[in-house]
Amino acid sequence: MNLTTTEISEADSRLTETEAERTARFEADALGYLDQLYGAALRMTRNPADAEDLVQETFAKAYASFGQFTPGTNLKAWLYRILTNTFINTYRKKQRQPLSSGGELEDWQLAKAESHTSTGLRSAEMEALDQMPHSAVTDAMNELPADFRLAVYLADVEGFAYKEIAAIMGTPIGTVMSRLNRGRNQLRAKLADFAREQGLIPGGDDDDE
Amino acid sequence: MTTSEPDFEDCSDVLEHLYAFHDHELTEAEADHIREHLMACEPCLDSFQVEEALRALVRKCCNTEAVASAKLRLRVQATITRTVVVTEAE
Repeated sequence: MNLTTTEISEADSRLTETEAERTARFEADALGYLDQLYGAALRMTRNPADAEDLVQETFAKAYASFGQFTPGTNLKAWLYRILTNTFINTYRKKQRQPLSSGGELEDWQLAKAESHTSTGLRSAEMEALDQMPHSAVTDAMNELPADFRLAVYLADVEGFAYKEIAAIMGTPIGTVMSRLNRGRNQLRAKLADFAREQGLIPGGDDDDE
Repeated sequence: MTTSEPDFEDCSDVLEHLYAFHDHELTEAEADHIREHLMACEPCLDSFQVEEALRALVRKCCNTEAVASAKLRLRVQATITRTVVVTEAE
């Protein structure tokens, strides 16, 4: 296969660039994702101190291997991959969170059986949800098992495609879909419960049965 | 061209694919099928709108919170600078 002139010059410039040039390129391209990565880290670790450490470690690792990153490919997904690996290898062990997804039970058949379950909410009630405090949503998110939480965050907040989430989490697409289904179902059930308890929507009484 | 006709028989099939539909992860033929069904089926359309609203709510609430502190920004920048110094010293 023939390389185009631009491809050759890009490869060349990466080989010949100085440390200072590489640092400048890293700062210009990668540091722009600082807030986003911090937001993701916050969802993963559930506390600001660990989130900051996780982000710092992520950027240190990313910088160290930035020479191997191919310009023009998905930098954001590459950074999230490092963030996720770092989280799984250090923080989750440290926090001793139980392995969420039930180990061997991550079967697409299983997920299929429990995909989109109804929250019992109706679209006419949705306007009331605008009054829901942000903390209610982030708390509900934090209560999800780590693997589910991460999948839901990457899909619903960051808008990554299934394929990208699979690459970031290092799992098959079927596992991503399973985690998404189960995580979303749990999250939506929690939000519906909260809205009823708070009287934002009708049906908050727990005294039935 | 062969098109595999999606076999969404009823509401439960449609609801089962609702997340993937929202995620734009269905084929064009599958998505068309879902759209057709939603136009004709009030309860499924309602589920679709609920899901749409919950999605927006989750995105809104999780997004606004995430602002890295100036301290973190400095720490990260210091990490990078330190790495450069170490590399050059070797």
